[in-house]
This record gives sequence, C-alpha cells and structure tokens, in this order.
Amino acid sequence: MIHRLTHLLLLVALLGGWELACRLVPLPELVLPRPGRVAAVLAEELAGGRLLRHMAVTAGEMVMGLAAGAAFALPVGALLAESPALRRLAHPYLVASQVVPKLALAPLFLLWFGFGMRSIIVITALVCFFPLLENTVTGLGRVDASRLELFRMLRANRWQTLLRLRLPTGLPVILAGFRVAVVLALVGAVVGEFIMGREGLGAAVMAAQGMMDTALMFALLLAIAALGSAAYQGALLAERLILSERFDS
Amino acid sequence: MPTEPIAPAPPGAAAITLAGVGYAPPGHPPILAGIDWTVPAGAFHALLGRSGCGKTTLLKLTAGLLPPGTGTVCLEGRAPQGPAEGVGFVFQTPTLLDWSTALENVLLPLSLRRGPRRGGRDRALALLDGLGLGSLAGRYPRQLSGGQQARVAIARALVDSPRVLLLDEPFSSLDALTREALQEDLAALCARDGVTALLVTHDIAEAVFLADRVVLMAAGRITGEVTVDLPHPRPPGIRYDPGFNARCRVLREALDRA
Repeated sequence: MIHRLTHLLLLVALLGGWELACRLVPLPELVLPRPGRVAAVLAEELAGGRLLRHMAVTAGEMVMGLAAGAAFALPVGALLAESPALRRLAHPYLVASQVVPKLALAPLFLLWFGFGMRSIIVITALVCFFPLLENTVTGLGRVDASRLELFRMLRANRWQTLLRLRLPTGLPVILAGFRVAVVLALVGAVVGEFIMGREGLGAAVMAAQGMMDTALMFALLLAIAALGSAAYQGALLAERLILSERFDS
Repeated sequence: MPTEPIAPAPPGAAAITLAGVGYAPPGHPPILAGIDWTVPAGAFHALLGRSGCGKTTLLKLTAGLLPPGTGTVCLEGRAPQGPAEGVGFVFQTPTLLDWSTALENVLLPLSLRRGPRRGGRDRALALLDGLGLGSLAGRYPRQLSGGQQARVAIARALVDSPRVLLLDEPFSSLDALTREALQEDLAALCARDGVTALLVTHDIAEAVFLADRVVLMAAGRITGEVTVDLPHPRPPGIRYDPGFNARCRVLREALDRA
C-alpha cells in the first residue's frame, strides 16, 4: 500500500514539476507542451478512436513479429543445442546477422516485401529472433550430466530427451527470453512503422512530427509506453502461470 | 541407440560377467585394467574402495553408459552395445525431475518405453507404499526430504521390474539413521524380486549388511574379495553382532593393505 502511494506521489511530483517548469519558463508549445495540454490531446485521440486503432495495428505487428521470430528461433535453437558442431559452424553468421542494424535492412525489405505491414513484421521478427535463439540454446543446454545419464540409462531417444528433459529444464530461461523479446518486438514494430508504416503508433508519431504537433507526439509516446508496459506485464504473468507449482522453487 | 534385450537367467547362472575389462578416457592413463568378475543371478555384490579407485567407472561400464576400452561386459550372456533393457540404475544423487511428482518420477521409465505398460501405475504406487511414501506420491521433489528423494529414486529403478540393479553410492549423502533404514528396504525389495544387484560403496558396514560378496578395489584393479556368509534376511540388529563387526574388520584390514 505504502509502496503504491510512493509510486503515485512520484508521478504527481514529476507531472507537477513539468507543469510548473512550463509555466515559469515560457517555452513555445512546439518544444515542450504542458502536461495538461498533452492530457487533453490524449483524451481527444482516445475519444476519436484514432489512438486505439494505431495501438491495435502496432500490437498486431508485435504479436505477429514475435510469433514469426519464435517460429524460427525455437526450432533453430533446439537444433543448435543438440549439435555443438552445427553451433560452432553457425555462430559467426548469427553474430554477423546481429551486428547489422535492422534499420539498415529496411530498404532491402521495402524492395522484397513492399511498403507496409509485411516488411514491419519481418523487421520485428528479426529483432526478436536473437534473444529467443540465445535463450533457447542456453536453456536447452542447461541440463546436468547425471540427468542426461539417467535418460540414456532409460534408453530415451533424442526426441524424448529434448521434450521430457531439456525443454522443462530450460523453460525458465526460454521464457525469460520471451520477456525480453516482447519489449524488443515493440521497438521493432514502432521503428519499422517510422520507415514503412501507413498506420500504427510509429507512423502516427512521424505524421505528428510532420504537422509539428508536439503535444500529439507526447500523447503517442505515452501510448507506446503503455503498450510496452502492458506487453511486459502480460509476458511476466504468462511466465508465472506456466512456471507455477511445477517449477516453483 | 542400439539395444539388445537381455533374457532372464536361471538362478545361479552368471547375470553379470566382466572379462579383462579396462578403461582409459581418451588421452588419459587407464582408470581400470584387467577386471575379471562374475555376479551370479540373484546375488548381491558390493564394490568397496576409496574415492577415486575406479568403482563408479566400473559400474558405468557394466551399465553400458561407457564402452569398455578392452575386454567384454556381458549381461545374462549377451554383450549389449549401450544400456540394456532389464537393468535399473540408482545414481549417487536422486536425479529426480523437479517438475514431476514422486509418482510421475517413478513412472518415468515406463512412460519413456514404447510398448505395453499396463499396471504400471499400480506397481509404482505399491513400490512407493512399500517404501513408506504412499501418502506422498503427489508431492514434488522439493517437498521431499533427502531420504524420501532417495526412496523415490529406488522405486524408479525398480518400477520396470529389472533383473539387474546397479547402485552407485545411493545413500552416501544421507544421515546414518536414514541410510540404515534405506539399506533394510533395499535388501528386502531385492530379495523379494530376486534381483541381481551390484552396489558401489565406500561404507564398509553398508557392504557387509547388504552384500553376499564384497569385491575390494584400489587404483583401478581388484585387490581382493570377501564372502559375507551371514544368513538372509539380515535383521537391523545384526549391525551390533560380533560376527558382523568381525567381517567389517576383515574388510577394513584388507582395504588398508591394498
């Protein structure tokens, strides 16, 4: 209770300080709008339904990008965890693919997948791919030697060992990777929209900048923060539900 | 993994035969050399030696977890490549699956095996009941004490009705009272099912209480063997019997000489 009160007080103090600073120092609204003005724009955009539509588009791209990233990262991660030789072979390529900024690939994706949602989902999937892959490889490799010997003694095949031993052992690490990937998916989607979006929060920020509507930009940033926080909390909740009881230590 | 089922052997026939068995890890000096040993079906043998003398390696070679560098390992007349059917193994630590209940852990060997497994659940519950864990079948390993976890591991090794049971210091991390109680349970279960057992231990009293024959090992070789001619079943009080202590002393002196 006291904890929540402290949070609330901090928020009020921050907003109050911001409002006060704007009144004391006469900055043009183009540079820094007052919180009251941002709130008014936020309410207006919410009531008009535009903001929710942009949020829905961005959330949809996040989910699809995350799903596509996971659809590749989990099987590839399992394959690399099973084969050290393959891991050594693929590692330099994976690292190289990660050091190239995803944004630098945008022109190529525009060419391949066209302007719009498809390219944005591909960028989002690429951003999610690496943390999911890393955590899958680490998680599946975490199993200790004596349990592997037990499964050998019980004459389990590779598939059984993967599903019945490696996966449950690595599940907490894999889910932690998902938590990171969820937040990165939002970054991927918004940045993708900056460059090649017609709709979505990123595209709306670019449009607001074009109209020199700084208050709207702030309102959109708040919406991005809210979407990211909700996604993170959702991932955390899902993680707790999946790991509950059986994995509680 | 290549597997060869082993056929039941008549009582008195060799269940485990090691002939000229040696092992050296790649690029290292040999851990074991020239091991010849036979365990008759239904017998309980113990491998006794100090830490690092190669006991566990010998047990893993017998289990098929390691391939012998030289010589052959035969289980009931066959030389299987890799772990064979009908062999149970109890590790030094319980190695239970944390996310599975005690009952699910005991049922693991059956659920991994393809083929018929009717009555497995009843057998698993009966084993847990016999080991005093009947009411704890639904608990997770973290909710069990060390002794209870060791009991679950023994039930898991016995659930598929193995004809050969290999045990690698299964009670070494338990307190003395729990250890003795488990030794009594193990002896009763092995005698009831006529299981051939090979136990690795560094506990002299444990070897004398459980085994018909104790093999002494030092520096990767067999240095001696002692027959424990105490009658079965051995009551818990036998540990305070002068005859029991005399046999412990014989083993102790043999170990010191090795």
